[in-house]
Amino acid sequence: MDTRASWDPWQEMRRLQRDMEHLFTDVAPAWRWPLSGEYPPVNITRGEQGITLEALCPGVDRASLDVTVVGDAVTIRGERKPEPGVAEERYHRRERPLGAFTRTVGFGEHLDADRTQASYTNGILRLQLARAAEQAPRKIVIQH
Amino acid sequence: MATLTTTTPRAGRRETTERAPRTASPRVDIYETDKAYVLLADLPGVASDGLDVEAEHGTLVIRGRVERPSTPPDYQEYELTDYQRAFTLTEDLDPGATTATLRDGVLRVEIPKSPQMQPKKIPVRTE
Repeated sequence: MDTRASWDPWQEMRRLQRDMEHLFTDVAPAWRWPLSGEYPPVNITRGEQGITLEALCPGVDRASLDVTVVGDAVTIRGERKPEPGVAEERYHRRERPLGAFTRTVGFGEHLDADRTQASYTNGILRLQLARAAEQAPRKIVIQH
Repeated sequence: MATLTTTTPRAGRRETTERAPRTASPRVDIYETDKAYVLLADLPGVASDGLDVEAEHGTLVIRGRVERPSTPPDYQEYELTDYQRAFTLTEDLDPGATTATLRDGVLRVEIPKSPQMQPKKIPVRTE
């Protein structure tokens, strides 16, 4: 039985790749995480009084934060801005995603924009959404 | 030279009961000015009374406690967890003069450099 360890170029490649990943996670990454995918992440609770949406978006520039309600959908816009006046080469580590974001969430039931309440506390945007007043049930006459 | 480097959280939490809450490692930015190192950490859900920043014995430790909702949401994309992360401080810093502020879920920690490490302007005489 041959017990000698044979040289496996793929294993060597994997080792190099691991080392590279280690290098890039331990040393300050030179690039910035982009805001990608569905941002911000949301949690939704449906209650009898209305719908609560909580979006996790710390450090958003308050002037850029914008919430609109149209029909059954809510759109959240905002921007996480970089520190003013700090040159790129001054950074040792940059892990926080920055940039502008837009997210629209549909609820499948009409919302009352006038009764929507929004607050932004500790980096969580909290929306209290009210359902539009239901229309009175109509009796449909079946034609014979 | 990275003067603020991450360190592995101390072992031992695992030895506590199995119901110990999970902690997340917050994302940080670190930059350097002439007079200080500035660390920004995303800690959404942490109020100022749930925040703990310690800078001593060559280590900066950030801990944040969050208020979890009593009932889970109907639709969930994120889970609020407590935060913890530690950084090694080198000797060129003056941790005794550290300042920390929390605004909209972002912690800002400023650790001044020791006075002898700050750049000095050398006057040049012309003769």
